[in-house]
Amino acid sequence: MPASRACCCFIAPPDLLARLATEGSPEQREAAVRTLSASAALRTQRTIVGNLMRQTDVPVPKLAGLEVANGRQIVYDNQHRGRAFLPGTKVRADRDRASPDAAVNEAFDGAAHTYDFYQKAFKRNSVDAHGMTLVSSVHYSTGFDNAFWNGAQMVYGDGSGQLFQVGALTKALDVIGHELTHGVTQFTAGLDYSSQTGALNEHMSDVFGSLVKQYHLGQTAAQADWLIGAGTLVPALGKALRSMSAPGTAYKGDRQPAHMKDYVDLPDDGDPRHDNGGVHINSGIPNRAFYLAATKLGGHAWEKAGPIWYAMLTERLQPDSEFADAAKASVDVATKTYGAAEVAAVRDAWHEVGVDV
Amino acid sequence: MKVTVVRGGGIAGMTTRTQLDSSALRAGDAQTLSSFVQGAALGEGAKAPPTSTPDDLLYEISVEDAGREITQRFNEGNLPEDIRQLVQWIDSRPERSFGVEG
Repeated sequence: MPASRACCCFIAPPDLLARLATEGSPEQREAAVRTLSASAALRTQRTIVGNLMRQTDVPVPKLAGLEVANGRQIVYDNQHRGRAFLPGTKVRADRDRASPDAAVNEAFDGAAHTYDFYQKAFKRNSVDAHGMTLVSSVHYSTGFDNAFWNGAQMVYGDGSGQLFQVGALTKALDVIGHELTHGVTQFTAGLDYSSQTGALNEHMSDVFGSLVKQYHLGQTAAQADWLIGAGTLVPALGKALRSMSAPGTAYKGDRQPAHMKDYVDLPDDGDPRHDNGGVHINSGIPNRAFYLAATKLGGHAWEKAGPIWYAMLTERLQPDSEFADAAKASVDVATKTYGAAEVAAVRDAWHEVGVDV
Repeated sequence: MKVTVVRGGGIAGMTTRTQLDSSALRAGDAQTLSSFVQGAALGEGAKAPPTSTPDDLLYEISVEDAGREITQRFNEGNLPEDIRQLVQWIDSRPERSFGVEG
């Protein structure tokens, strides 16, 4: 394979590649389609790749024998340049020494802790279960108040100091676990990121994000703070992004309900006030159900409650699953795996938040 | 001219509003804002795509000028570069107002 075909840019942003694949020169189009189809993160998006192949007439045999990046994780520096320059400059890979840049090391260590958690608690090899390299970019854009999973990698902004504290997003291990779990969900249940299924998607990221932190700290369900992103907001705004034990109390103006009777019905219409149909709002309902089940089951939450939710996510749920489907799936898994007391704990937890099962 | 940037979604799911009124700016800066807005070529009624990637930041940009208001929505994944530059310039101005909406 010629050097030019080595897959050095497989984590280039999918939208840039899609643009090249449809608008570029013939060589760019072929390279972009090759890269898109090579991306481990896009294995589940075969329809996109299939469409591009049809649009660009790249024959299937040319896509054989592709390479993907090796190693467990790589951290890049976006150097504040934004989407068009993702991932950025490579700054730390598996065996590299620590960087002088704290954000690089925090993203690196957080991804490693998340990988270890999934490996040890559930024998899962990375987000796709096939050892996909965990790619993180830090210093995204300028004063950027967000961290997100873009379908192929994690992206962290520095925070503006107005909403998020500067440098806080990579310091929160549950935020890192939350983002990587979006990857796990993408490769398993594939929950649509909209309205109630989107809130279930968010719920899964909060559950496993919190468990990554609890596992790392060696905390029992009773010892855990059940907060997501504690200390990431500027202090005047609040203590955390979400509270799984007491939804609606994490910050001033927190609209999370703790019960179905308070479900917030919002349209998924692109209005930033509507949050994709309230995905970060209504996740409070299943979040509290998980907290109730985990504290009732006792011990380390990743040992009993965690495996029930993991089996639900990876074996039972579908892209259009809603809270009632999750409740039923969790009771089914508990019935199959544990005894009557555990089944009752799970069923009672859902009843207490108003989801019948 | 008044430019309002509402941001929502993201990992926090919180909505923020940033506003900059050219009347608060010195003449040269007001001219810069005007150039950014003209360069950004906001179109009325366009919408963000119906699906987002997880924790994507959602944007609504509104420009009020001479009794007319133009509003357009984006997400981080499709925010045009010229709009990103407009937003970053507004974020960098000490005259802007910023608040978290309920």
